[in-house]
Amino acid sequence: MHIPDGFIPLWQCAIYYVIMIVALYFSLKWARKNLDEKLIPLIAVLSAGIFAIMSMNMPIPFGTSGHMLGGALVAIVFLAPEAAVLVLFIVLLIQALFFGDGGLTALGANVVNMGLVGGAVAYFSFKGLYKAIGKYPAAAIAAWLSLFIAAEVVAVEMWLAGTFPLDVGLASMGIYHAFIGVIEAILTVVVLIALDKLRPDLLAWNRKTSGGQKLEGSEEVAAK
Amino acid sequence: MNGVGSVRELERETEKESILHLMDGRVKLILLIFIIVYAVFSTQIVVLAFLELYLLLLIYISHVSFKSSFKRILLLLPFGGFIIAFQPFIHPGDVIWTGIFGLQVTQQGLMWAVLLMSRLIVALTSIVLLSSISPMQEVAQSFRKLGMPRELAMIFSLMIRFLFMFYDELHRIMHAQKARCFDAFNKKIPYKWRMKQLGYTVAMMFLRAYEQGETIYMSMVSRGFSDQSNFYQDRKKKLGTTEYVYIGVTVLLVVCLQVLAMTHFYELGVLGMNII
Repeated sequence: MHIPDGFIPLWQCAIYYVIMIVALYFSLKWARKNLDEKLIPLIAVLSAGIFAIMSMNMPIPFGTSGHMLGGALVAIVFLAPEAAVLVLFIVLLIQALFFGDGGLTALGANVVNMGLVGGAVAYFSFKGLYKAIGKYPAAAIAAWLSLFIAAEVVAVEMWLAGTFPLDVGLASMGIYHAFIGVIEAILTVVVLIALDKLRPDLLAWNRKTSGGQKLEGSEEVAAK
Repeated sequence: MNGVGSVRELERETEKESILHLMDGRVKLILLIFIIVYAVFSTQIVVLAFLELYLLLLIYISHVSFKSSFKRILLLLPFGGFIIAFQPFIHPGDVIWTGIFGLQVTQQGLMWAVLLMSRLIVALTSIVLLSSISPMQEVAQSFRKLGMPRELAMIFSLMIRFLFMFYDELHRIMHAQKARCFDAFNKKIPYKWRMKQLGYTVAMMFLRAYEQGETIYMSMVSRGFSDQSNFYQDRKKKLGTTEYVYIGVTVLLVVCLQVLAMTHFYELGVLGMNII
């Protein structure tokens, strides 16, 4: 899903960079308010952990393999899409700078897809679903949706860039990521269950407050 | 994605000594980003060919292994290569080949694919060069010196320090699983069980990362860290002659290429034509 350099014209890259900078501004504002001075070590080490998790190849039903993105997991653990933007920005920057995985000029687009869209879709779909179906089924659907929608946004961006036709892009990205999304969904739920058992205090839905702020909806989620 | 082997290999390359290795981190970072941006801006294959030649010359000067550089570029090409492979078949234009099932290759599509591939190769060569001559920590400091917000620069710098630790951690977990004959891709084992084990591995990594983050925070606080803390930095290093020569040569090359692109390269036919 990482868009490389050269696939998106520079003027469009600039637009994605502006969106990314705005998203980063609000994410940092959220982090200062909710994580206090813990922000720096926590997000840094968590990004390193997510980076390592992303390097694990997992089997997908019907033969192929893929890896987890982790954006949905971060957004649900913190009950904030801002956390996903911050973590994925750092992870994607390092991937682009040192590993050539995703382009530097396309960094804005990649952060918008995986961090902003992925994180926001995960958070809002989780928030919208947990009352009706319970927190773990909601987390599974949110994780699957976050990956699927992010992949479809990539297809739209490639179409806007004139690199790939919309219908073929939407179909191919959609089908492939519908399968990859299964991994994202299963692993997100397994990790959430494990965290809830081992360190329930780390999950935002188990905390009434964080950084002096009341976490919206935390009690209802915990009860589901 | 990249494994622990490639991360360690990268750091070994950065320990070599050459004029480029010794240069100021900011200059290396800015100029290679400048080359990538120009490559993405360019629409003529000949311009990209000259940029690639220049980058290969820099790789030679920096004593970085050509073999490992080419290997890394080849390993990274499939990510974009997959999308590029479709281009000759999906772009409208003059049909130059018709195959089975009515598949048609157009000249414009083929040229577009060549342009995308050339841009990708130049960008990947730049990244391979940058990551081979600049230690990760130097890049983090360069970002800070270039004005990256304090929090982001500190997160970036700290993350790099712990990246190696987590790769080792993951390596240990996977080694232990392998020693117990666990194979995530073994189809004889129920899929649900395999996913459960992988899920626990991810949960463990996440948990260790979070707990390590808290421990590090406590140790930083006990050493006087607060939300107002800043990076320790060396006194501002002044740029030397080699840095100015490197900046001058790179900028001059790009300016010359752009002037030639607008005035003479069209005479080269396919190589010099504007592909939009």
